[in-house]
Amino acid sequence: MAAMSTALGFFDEAVDEHGHTRDHYRPVQEWFDRLTLEQVKALEEQRNESFRRQGITFTVYGGDEGTERTWPMDLFPRVIDAEEWAMLERGLIQRVTALNRFLDDIYAGEQAIVHDGIVPRRLITSCTGFEREAMNVAVPMGARCLVAGIDLVRDGDGAYRVLEDNLRNPSGISYVIENRAAMTKLLPAAFSDLAVRSVDHYGRSLLRALRSIAPPACGDDPTVAVLTPGIFNSAYFEHAFLARSMGVELVEGRDLVVDDHVVAMRTTRGFERVDVIYRRIDDDFLDPVVFNPSSTLGVPGLMAAARAGTVSIANSVGNGVGDDKAVYAYVPDMIRYYLGEETIIPNADTYLLWEEDQRAEVLERIDQLVVKPVAESGGYGIVIGPKATDAELAEARQKILDDPRNWIAQEVVNLSRLPAWAGDHFAPRHIDLRPFVLSGEQVEVIPGGLTRVALREGSLIVNSSQGGGSKDTWVLGSPDHNDPGVLSSPDQTGAKAPS
Amino acid sequence: MRLDISYRTRFAFDAPVRESQNEMRACPLSDERQQLLSYRVTVEPSARMLSFTDYWGTRVDHFGVTDAHTALEVIAEASVETQEPRPLATGPPLDTLKMPGFRDRHEEFLKRSPHTDWNEDLTRAARQLSETNGSNVTSAVMEVSRFVGDKLSYEPGATEIGEPIADIAAKGVGVCQDYAHLAVALCRSVGIPARYVSGYLFSSDERTGSIDGDLVRVQTHAWFEAAVPGLGWLPLDPTNGLAVGRQHVKIGHGRDYDDVPPLRGVYSGPGTPTVDASVEIRRMDPNRPPSTPMQPALLAAVKAPRTREQQQQQQQ
Repeated sequence: MAAMSTALGFFDEAVDEHGHTRDHYRPVQEWFDRLTLEQVKALEEQRNESFRRQGITFTVYGGDEGTERTWPMDLFPRVIDAEEWAMLERGLIQRVTALNRFLDDIYAGEQAIVHDGIVPRRLITSCTGFEREAMNVAVPMGARCLVAGIDLVRDGDGAYRVLEDNLRNPSGISYVIENRAAMTKLLPAAFSDLAVRSVDHYGRSLLRALRSIAPPACGDDPTVAVLTPGIFNSAYFEHAFLARSMGVELVEGRDLVVDDHVVAMRTTRGFERVDVIYRRIDDDFLDPVVFNPSSTLGVPGLMAAARAGTVSIANSVGNGVGDDKAVYAYVPDMIRYYLGEETIIPNADTYLLWEEDQRAEVLERIDQLVVKPVAESGGYGIVIGPKATDAELAEARQKILDDPRNWIAQEVVNLSRLPAWAGDHFAPRHIDLRPFVLSGEQVEVIPGGLTRVALREGSLIVNSSQGGGSKDTWVLGSPDHNDPGVLSSPDQTGAKAPS
Repeated sequence: MRLDISYRTRFAFDAPVRESQNEMRACPLSDERQQLLSYRVTVEPSARMLSFTDYWGTRVDHFGVTDAHTALEVIAEASVETQEPRPLATGPPLDTLKMPGFRDRHEEFLKRSPHTDWNEDLTRAARQLSETNGSNVTSAVMEVSRFVGDKLSYEPGATEIGEPIADIAAKGVGVCQDYAHLAVALCRSVGIPARYVSGYLFSSDERTGSIDGDLVRVQTHAWFEAAVPGLGWLPLDPTNGLAVGRQHVKIGHGRDYDDVPPLRGVYSGPGTPTVDASVEIRRMDPNRPPSTPMQPALLAAVKAPRTREQQQQQQQ
């Protein structure tokens, strides 16, 4: 399979501007060059069968009702060299540290960043994700974004940019681990001569982070549980996967009860006190006493228990004020304000549409920009100017005028490209990267993350809900790094069937 | 004026419920116009109480009952001293409402909320009110309050919580909540920050504010406050056209009713409840010490409810 040529305006991950394979991609490229068409097809078949057997699927909403598909992992891996990763790791730790500080300042602090005039007060009060019900609920160590997924892209010059922050319930880590397990089985030889850093410790790292935010009074052996909305949720597979890899209970709202402001879970052995809840239920459904009163997914009284300090909830309630896309525009200011540092990984160029002059410019050039709703995730509601019809642009203009606070605009980022299998050959496709960052006693980045790929030719939409696929992401170990870089299958120790 | 307030809600279920979790906002706050002297909460069946101050500054008492029960009664008793309001100062001109800092600080009180979603008709009415009368903010707010009092006739049971405010205005009937929501909506529609206030009114008739004797049996009351640049929050009671004064005891404020409901909660089980809520307010001799001691602010355990007989003695 031949290497592709570079195209103007796009950064190619695997080849340089002269068409030569970049050093860190050479072993992988050479390995794929030796494969025949039949061999690739056989590998694809093997992969599909394996994912199907394990039930690794995801649900696509919209159009027809939810459709179940097997997870589309492309065989050609993404490779990040040690030096580049070291920069990304520093940048991600910096960003998540600042966001934790910001959220703690807003909910449990003095809102110093508002009083000091760095962000306007209305930026906070106008966020749909600002949960007044979470006001003054303390979180040990201020680890409010216990799991953060930061979406990165590379622009036309190959520079990394943060496209958005996901601080509520970022999903995808199970696919990172499953992709690695699948690649290890399918292509063991492709890893030869490369020290690829392991991702299998995620369950242990997550459990450590969760235990670290347990209420101080609960002792040395806090009980952790994963709270899921149930089997009909699109990410249920991941909820079960995470509970299993941590060796903790997977519970639904009806399995928990709050008694005298203490959370207990029903088990076969009777009631057991729960100290830390890793919830994968949105804020609005978490506790019908204070949020959506018709929710049957949540736990009545849970917020009062959190306020009483008998249980810790991760991610913290109200994190939506940190990943609102208008707030995102202020993250570089937060980094300067809280950390006294300059931003290592810059934002994409962003326009705030409630600012009159910026709005005027956007309305004029809307056909060249990307317009996004501030509080959505998963690629929903996005209008890509260069690809939109006149009617779609007119509709976007009207929506901006009706509610400017609800929208931002960004310059189109020409996502970088990497070969992906296109039926009978490898062809360049656009990719992004969602690294996962854990906050607890310290901030830790899992090497790599979820590389998403737009499988349709020319498409810039990588969301799996919108026809995107994924790739295994290989971070190469550096000589001075302690990580042995040995690959292994996902950690199954302490494995427990989901309840 | 020294007022002793007893707020009582009783749920009677026709079949046992397994669990109920509730939040009560019934405690008078202390501010420049009133001082809370004592406050006590009693729940039957007994339950541990978690008390805290919410985002809006209102005291919340949260309690859950996890044993099967067919009745739940909560009583909040408060003693409060109220004062006359400050004399009204002449308001600043309307264009001061456009000051960017003022708008930034009050963003959440300028927006629509579920119960204050105004329409074109209301905006037009509010515009007329604010422009006809000397065009200063205080007089505009007073005009709005007067307009609401004229527009609605007091009719208990004529509206439901959740009915759009524009529909209520068109029907021309309502109770104190509707008066307050309509006034808030009108103010916001012309850029005057306004908030909904929940509280108690010492009066034998909510509609007129008249007082007959030293003991009244009422429901919780509602009015509104508007932000006047340079002067602060101006409270007005559109239901009875009274200036907010010694008869008014404020519990708290928010964007609308949903931010300060006296009681909200969920229960699980087959039973459906009959709710009986009442408020008794007694005017006291100001020299008598408060009858109920202050409760510790957090996690006050209320494990031994007094008998009904004792409670009645308490209120005398």
